[in-house]
Amino acid sequence: MAKKEYDTFILTELEEFPEDQEMEIIVRDLTPEDRRYKYRSAYVLAKISKSESKYPDRLWVRLGRGQLQEKPWSIQIIKEVNKFA
Amino acid sequence: MGFRVYKDNREFIKALEAYDDLVIIQQEVDWDLEMGAIVRRVCEKKSAAPYFKKIQDYPGFEALGAPLATYKRLAIAMGMNPEATVLEISDEYVRRTTGETVKPVIVEKKKAPCKENIWMGKEADLFKLPGPMVHDGDGGRYLATWHFVVSKDPDTGAVNWGMYRQMVFDEKTMVGPVLPFSDMGKMFYGKYVPKNQPMPFATVIGCDPLSGVAACAPSPIPEDEFTGMLMGSPVELVKCETNDLYVPAQAEIIIEGEVIPGIQIEEAPFGEYTGYRTSPREPRTVYRVSAITFRNNPIITVSNMGVPTDEGQLLRSFSLGLEMRKLLESQGIPITGVFMWPESTHHLVVVGVRPAYSGIASQIANLVFGSKLSPWFTMVVVVDHETDIYNKDEVIHALCTKCHPIRGIRKYEQAPGTPLYPFADPEDRKWSRGSQVLFDCLFPLDWPKALVPIKVSFNNVYPKEIQDKVLKNWKSYGFKD
Repeated sequence: MAKKEYDTFILTELEEFPEDQEMEIIVRDLTPEDRRYKYRSAYVLAKISKSESKYPDRLWVRLGRGQLQEKPWSIQIIKEVNKFA
Repeated sequence: MGFRVYKDNREFIKALEAYDDLVIIQQEVDWDLEMGAIVRRVCEKKSAAPYFKKIQDYPGFEALGAPLATYKRLAIAMGMNPEATVLEISDEYVRRTTGETVKPVIVEKKKAPCKENIWMGKEADLFKLPGPMVHDGDGGRYLATWHFVVSKDPDTGAVNWGMYRQMVFDEKTMVGPVLPFSDMGKMFYGKYVPKNQPMPFATVIGCDPLSGVAACAPSPIPEDEFTGMLMGSPVELVKCETNDLYVPAQAEIIIEGEVIPGIQIEEAPFGEYTGYRTSPREPRTVYRVSAITFRNNPIITVSNMGVPTDEGQLLRSFSLGLEMRKLLESQGIPITGVFMWPESTHHLVVVGVRPAYSGIASQIANLVFGSKLSPWFTMVVVVDHETDIYNKDEVIHALCTKCHPIRGIRKYEQAPGTPLYPFADPEDRKWSRGSQVLFDCLFPLDWPKALVPIKVSFNNVYPKEIQDKVLKNWKSYGFKD
């Protein structure tokens, strides 16, 4: 099964971004089943690695003004967090 | 009345076609960047407006790009000759928007095309609308780029229509900046948030062209009445499904809901009116959706902000400049005109004035920088009445020859600003701090007359009989222009 792909905006220094610990971030779904839902954003609880292969799904990284970084990271989404419950 | 009025977006599209200012694109285009790229190139080339008949993944929906990105399209929207000059359009705009306001009329739901389809509850899903990914690198899909948001003051009942960009976050959520000095910002953060009350809103997409012009105008007149003044007849409104706001009955799409206090989520980056992605991705105002209503085969409107010229730059420049003209005229300043070039992304104001007394340039700058309009511009250039304010060559010549590089420049510090200024440092952006400057291009009145430089131009240094002779014989000399 093809990896799912997400992206996220990192607003801190990339070097300081913590890996392999559960954290809440916003991701956008780049490969939804229904293409109309591409770029849907969600708060998720997830673990992230700067290695592309460590976690099941691919995570593309953008900086605060939208600059796409060349190499993807990987992500394991544990659950979606509903901020409006 | 003497001018044509387009009651909806569809009549306006037909007019653009009739005036050969529309390209009908039958080929399917992708909402994911392709449509945005086309509109961007249209803005940069000042091409005809693109009318997209087929949008990938969204059968039944259409889109109109760059609806008012040129003065020609603004003239058409005003029901004027498409070749009207900026001055002619300006004079007509001021004429129509001075005097008695024209109150809107309420129509029944069954007579409102925007109620032809109604989605409530789970069905009201933002991803069922073809919100474009406008620029690569944007923070999300911006469904609302040429639109307006309706809100109401909880104490006075005053209605506001304003253009506040909205990014789709999820099925039910949009997010966008609502700056604290804006009309809606004062209302939401000043009146609803302290009481922890949600604020009802309605986003209007695909309105008639003059409602869009009114929503851009920084006028103290309520925008629904301002639209009526521009149209010369009342705008037709209909009540929303889930709140007590009223929206234009002929609009293509209405998104209803509440602006939520006590929570902000990340929005941006986005290509902005300055031609840059400047303001940071940061927590901003949240809109939760309760209903979506729309016409059959709705036509969304798409603007693409970036380097000049798009409708944000053109219309904000146009209406900001004219509100300043009204302000200065109301104070009895002997101005000959006010103009903001769209290419300045409405940061530069040019004011022509008869230099009747010393200090008049500073008086003008104090008035416009002291007005509520001031966060949207940073530079005022004051030229004399003989300089054509619409002619860039003449204004640049005046700026470079009549403005003393030290005595002619006055700085205004600690001014309100916006996070969108590309030149501001990050801390200034964070606190919306600005700075402003006056370029006084008037020769001082206290110079002895004999010492005032004489402008050397065809019109100024030849006797009238020589000018007439040269003009009369111009073609016979062999010139073709």
